Amino acid sequence: MDKVLQQIVLENRTEITEQWLSLNNDLENIRRVADVTNQLLDTTNKEFLDVIFGSVEKKGKTAELANFSERLIKLGWPLNYITNGLQSFRRITINFILEKSEETSREYFSGVLESVDRWIDPVINYLVSEYSGSWEHTVALQKIALQELSAPLIPVIDGITVMPLIGTIDTERAKLIMENLLDGTMKHNSEVVLIDITGVPVVDTMVAHHIIQAAEAVRLVGATCILVGIRPEIAQTIVNLGIDLSRFPTKSSLRKGFNAALQLTGRTISTIKNEEKEIEQIIDSLSKG
Amino acid sequence: MRIPILKLHHYLLVSIQVELDDQTAVEFQEDLLQKIHETGSTGVVIDLTSVEIVDSYIAKILGDVVSMSGLMGTKVVLTGIQPAVAMTLIELGIHLNNVPTALNLEQGLIKLKQELEE
Repeated sequence: MDKVLQQIVLENRTEITEQWLSLNNDLENIRRVADVTNQLLDTTNKEFLDVIFGSVEKKGKTAELANFSERLIKLGWPLNYITNGLQSFRRITINFILEKSEETSREYFSGVLESVDRWIDPVINYLVSEYSGSWEHTVALQKIALQELSAPLIPVIDGITVMPLIGTIDTERAKLIMENLLDGTMKHNSEVVLIDITGVPVVDTMVAHHIIQAAEAVRLVGATCILVGIRPEIAQTIVNLGIDLSRFPTKSSLRKGFNAALQLTGRTISTIKNEEKEIEQIIDSLSKG
Repeated sequence: MRIPILKLHHYLLVSIQVELDDQTAVEFQEDLLQKIHETGSTGVVIDLTSVEIVDSYIAKILGDVVSMSGLMGTKVVLTGIQPAVAMTLIELGIHLNNVPTALNLEQGLIKLKQELEE
């Protein structure tokens, strides 16, 4: 029976194609995601039908299908173009076959449904898994990139290290921050570590808790931790939430924090070139002349 | 297994190089206090560089040693706490707030000197 149905579908290919095309020219929907012209939609539709008929003929996945899905993913076509297309193909085909045949028994009917499903489902499954695979791949890559950016440590001068934090801090990132911070402190032999939270948009109890833990751990390994970059709104939230940050020094800007760090390590920055003196010398030499 | 305690001028140096079990830790506590009493040292540096595991009991003993020595008029500095150890201690909620720390033995001695001058 499967053979017979297959025959019916393949013989009436043009008619099914026409019906299908009339249902699948919703360009607006695709435009939202990918840059597609009418012409491209036409050629893609034709190709899509070729792939579908190919899989009806061969019952299942074909080389053309793999090729086709790879191209669609690269061009960024929406997944619902494919699922809608295959679902409407299924509807049309079933209607078509039932119209063509005189038999109306229940067995025949369920037989038709089953065979059509057997042609279409592998294609849907394959395409959906290809799409989600490509998405998962992208997400994994971005996660790695994010991790690389999440906790950098900069040894500025002997004994002073800065960790600038940008973006929201979650538990996973907090753990990474603490590890990097402690390992870096040991590696660079830092006496003072500055954590700069200028780029952290929101400091809630959780974020504050993580930062406090990191600072305490830094103290345990034998360095001092200064929290810098506390903006006015952050200071407000911290006090309103009743978070106690009094156990380690805090400063409003990295510059102030750096000065404090220099003081802690017993150093100062001095200007070698003294312009005022130079001008005085010039004036002196002029008056002598 | 007893942990050796070395005398250096007015200071005592302790480098813990074995995994501390409860028994050793308690013995160490007694030994150190005894030694402080005998030598009249003003400062102690306990170096934990080679210690990879510190549980809550050991942490308590170390904290106690610091407080007890403080009662006897001796400052104690813990040095070389490993990152992993620090993280475990913080996760266990042990902050050792009254204990001065330093990165390594050298800076520990400097810190001790500073604390004694104050």
